[in-house]
Amino acid sequence: MLKHLGIVGAGTMGTGIAQLAALSKIDVQLYDVNETILRRSIERIKADLRKMINLGKLPHEEFNATVERIRTRTSLPDIGHCDCIIESIIEDIRVKKDLFKHLDVNTKSTAVLASTTSSLSITSIAALTRNPERVIGMHFFHPVNTVSLVEVVKGYKTNTETLERAIEWAKLLGKNPIIVKDTPGFIANRISLPMFSEALRLLGENVAYAEQIDNIVKKIGGFSAGPFETLDQMGIDSALAETESLYDQSYGEPRLRPHPILKQMAESGLLGKKSAKGFYNYEEMK
Amino acid sequence: MKRNKKKPEKNTKTTAKVTKTSSKSTKKEIPKTPSLLTEKHELQKAEVPRSQESCQSDKALVYVVGEAPMVEQYAELCIAHGYDVCISWNEPPSEKQNTLSPGIIISSTVPENTSIAIELTNIDVLAKKKNLEKLAKALPETAPILSSSITITATEQCAWIVGKYRLVGIAALPTFIDKLLVEVAPTIYTPMETLEVVSRFFLTIGKEIEIVQDRVGMVLPRILCRVINEAAFAITEDIAAPDDIDKALTLGMHFPLGPIEWAEQIGLDQVYAVLTALYTDLQEERYRIAPILKQMAMTGVWWKQSLAH
Repeated sequence: MLKHLGIVGAGTMGTGIAQLAALSKIDVQLYDVNETILRRSIERIKADLRKMINLGKLPHEEFNATVERIRTRTSLPDIGHCDCIIESIIEDIRVKKDLFKHLDVNTKSTAVLASTTSSLSITSIAALTRNPERVIGMHFFHPVNTVSLVEVVKGYKTNTETLERAIEWAKLLGKNPIIVKDTPGFIANRISLPMFSEALRLLGENVAYAEQIDNIVKKIGGFSAGPFETLDQMGIDSALAETESLYDQSYGEPRLRPHPILKQMAESGLLGKKSAKGFYNYEEMK
Repeated sequence: MKRNKKKPEKNTKTTAKVTKTSSKSTKKEIPKTPSLLTEKHELQKAEVPRSQESCQSDKALVYVVGEAPMVEQYAELCIAHGYDVCISWNEPPSEKQNTLSPGIIISSTVPENTSIAIELTNIDVLAKKKNLEKLAKALPETAPILSSSITITATEQCAWIVGKYRLVGIAALPTFIDKLLVEVAPTIYTPMETLEVVSRFFLTIGKEIEIVQDRVGMVLPRILCRVINEAAFAITEDIAAPDDIDKALTLGMHFPLGPIEWAEQIGLDQVYAVLTALYTDLQEERYRIAPILKQMAMTGVWWKQSLAH
């Protein structure tokens, strides 16, 4: 049973999960090293809950109770009593390994230790723990409040009990969990990757313009956004980092090879919407 | 939203209107380009009631030939927009013939008064060649030929026919035909006049066009079949259950359909044909076809593991 959920990292993903859990009547211990980030996180949650009240999705009287279910912490041992700890920190394998090594020692032995990584190996993250069987991936998708999918990633040594608990708890948070093997990119990112890499190759080979490719993908394929619009939205640098990570982890699988256009654009500061220029120009929208 | 100026130089960009086409070689190739739309053959809806008995009426006639279900789908689209339609299949689908709209005539003979022909074969290249040769011989010289060019480029198809100026490539796959946009690939022989006729024709059946370069796979078939191939590799590697793969892509990545359901709707044989053509044309490991996909395309058995698994 999930009574107490610990969350490490109060960024966008950690905040979203904390809110979901509090709304599901689970007590949350939200940890971050930075108090300012924690304060901002709580403010974001409050703002979102107010929106829900205004939309009639949350009774007004539940506002305080929901917020009070979330306790902010700046000391890791304070979350050691939790039944499950979900890590949502920087996508850096060394930092994550260190954290899990620490969590392994400072949490109760029955706790499930979950990572929200989108691209790193769960088996690697668990490598320095004494009990890798309780380490699992719970890959939530952005925005966490609206996207219902959670990839539950089974590491090499993850045991069945941990897997079953993670699935049960993802459902408790209102999500649709699917079980995925620990491979580069898991499933959603890996299978959608060819859409982006092929679009980049079509552009590189002058088969069509980015704008045309997006138009075709939307109007014939029925997608709500074209691959280049999506890349601009997610950030060219982030897309490059993710594809490079998958390529490296797969030991150079040709199907996962990044395209040089992404690298050139990232190095030129054409990062998409966040830099006002990417495959499209957003300067006029500023 | 202002677009960046980063665009390839050689391409043309148009939506339902022709802006530019490479025609230097075209002019050299075609000493005398026939006027493609004489008054007699103008592709407009006629007011005169159409004959139910034959392909002879005052309406412009479209001849559609190739693979099911694309032939029926294009035929229905054309007849719904006021054309006379004659069709022929490479292999007739017996159960479909009774469900065709009244007025769609099945005829292996290409009527002399055909205004435009659509060739829709992706899998059987020999059948495609035969169809195009037959069309080129039978059609009036003013009639353009729209030919699916996702498994062999339109320019290569031109080598099979006389009157190369008439042939224009299109991206045709099951599930694409009822959409409001179509990819069109002019060849190195295509003159402006043919593109204009093609553009006008698509407008009359409710479609905009997007002009792309004449390459195997064109745009969406290439992207989509690679995604399906990756899903097949993931199934082979037992990364997730097939149903979960579709769930992951629709719920997590906002795909309108999961790759497996999409492949079912397109037809595995079509997907396999596109991937084979890509692998043959581009000669790169990244286009290698997942063995399970090949086996399933050959057997028609969908995502079932063998007893050895």
